[in-house]
Amino acid sequence: MRDGIEIARLGIPAVALVTQDYWPQGDFVARSLGMPNIPRIKLPHPVAGTGVTNMRYIAEQMAPVIMAALRGKPDPAEQSADKAKENPQ
Amino acid sequence: MTNMLEATDEAAALETLHGRGCTDGLPVVIPTQTRVSRMTLASGMDADMVLGTMGPAGGVATIEMVAVAAVMAGCLPDYMPVVVAAVKAVIDPVFDLTEMQATTHCTAPLIIVNGPARHNCGPIHSGFGALGPGFRANASIGRALRLCMINIGGAKPGESDMALLGHPGKFTYCLAEDEENSPFTPLHVGLGFEPEDSVVTVIGAEAPHSVIFSGDADDPDNHLHLLQILALGLTNMATNNAILGNGSATVILNPEHASILANAGLDREAVAAQLYALCVNSTAEMARLVPGFARSKGPDTMRHSFHSAENILILMAGGSGIYSMVMPSWCAGAHRNSASSVRVDADQFCEIPGLAARSTQH
Repeated sequence: MRDGIEIARLGIPAVALVTQDYWPQGDFVARSLGMPNIPRIKLPHPVAGTGVTNMRYIAEQMAPVIMAALRGKPDPAEQSADKAKENPQ
Repeated sequence: MTNMLEATDEAAALETLHGRGCTDGLPVVIPTQTRVSRMTLASGMDADMVLGTMGPAGGVATIEMVAVAAVMAGCLPDYMPVVVAAVKAVIDPVFDLTEMQATTHCTAPLIIVNGPARHNCGPIHSGFGALGPGFRANASIGRALRLCMINIGGAKPGESDMALLGHPGKFTYCLAEDEENSPFTPLHVGLGFEPEDSVVTVIGAEAPHSVIFSGDADDPDNHLHLLQILALGLTNMATNNAILGNGSATVILNPEHASILANAGLDREAVAAQLYALCVNSTAEMARLVPGFARSKGPDTMRHSFHSAENILILMAGGSGIYSMVMPSWCAGAHRNSASSVRVDADQFCEIPGLAARSTQH
């Protein structure tokens, strides 16, 4: 979250990736650093350690969401974690 | 009947309690007669009912004395059945309370709560930061037991409690198991209780030692690596368990680590069995590093750190991530400071209108 906010403050499009279990912390950090609307995307939890196939699946699902967020599409969080959950694995 | 002290106001009473060594060093709620009576009433038991004696002082733990500690610790009356069960658990001779209170080791009673009391006598937290600050029931239940150990058991640092340094869990050390999200049967069921029972398990424990492990679902030996790293934490040669070769220990798996083990087809008993097998050390290496405690002068063999798999308590709690916790133990005393489990007698609980509000605050 902090990286995303620092990058956004430099005027560079940024989006933070936050897993579901840590989403409240993301909200807290965003508020604390004065950028409550910093674009962020919710990923399923966990991602790390879940295997290359699953991580690739999540990446493929999330890539267009990330791109949309970077292009300024509002509220990308709404369409992120639930989409990735559909992994048939 | 508990001795009464007099003071001009609550500030003066607090200083009196601090001065008499009746606190843990932090401010306490003044145990006025009214507050203690209400806490006693909440237990549903007679004030003079004797739970047992607590060493090293041999003080008699009555319901009223326990209520005094619960008030001082900041408990809500709802918590009283769990506090009473915790006191009963440490009084059980297998726990070796008198010896444990007096040892130079840093051990403290870790309170693990299972069953409906986690909700009805709390809520007692089991998720993110369950052993840290912020959760009233966890903080005050553990603190109440400590205040009983000080004021009934007579444990005074440097005088009768000879822990060389102690550890922060000696202020409070209490959590619940996250039964709802655990892939395993609850700890108390593994110990022979019924799922609907509320049970307090107390085990002497060092401070939590963090165990880092980032899994890899593509690795067929993923769960074996996790077991090995947990065993390293449990049985490193700096622990009493490794050197004395007995006692009990606690493993608190976080949800990710519990899933790795469950997905490998292991249940709680299988995890304990594998950890038991992995918790071994070279007798020759022990003789080299800690000759004062080495028993074997013969050929090098591998020595178990525990007598059996049942000595390794496993539960799931905490947030999801890469850290689990292990707590080695003191493991001396006539019964090796064994874990002790007691059913919570919540049927006796007496709800006090306007006071025991089944609060949801932390």
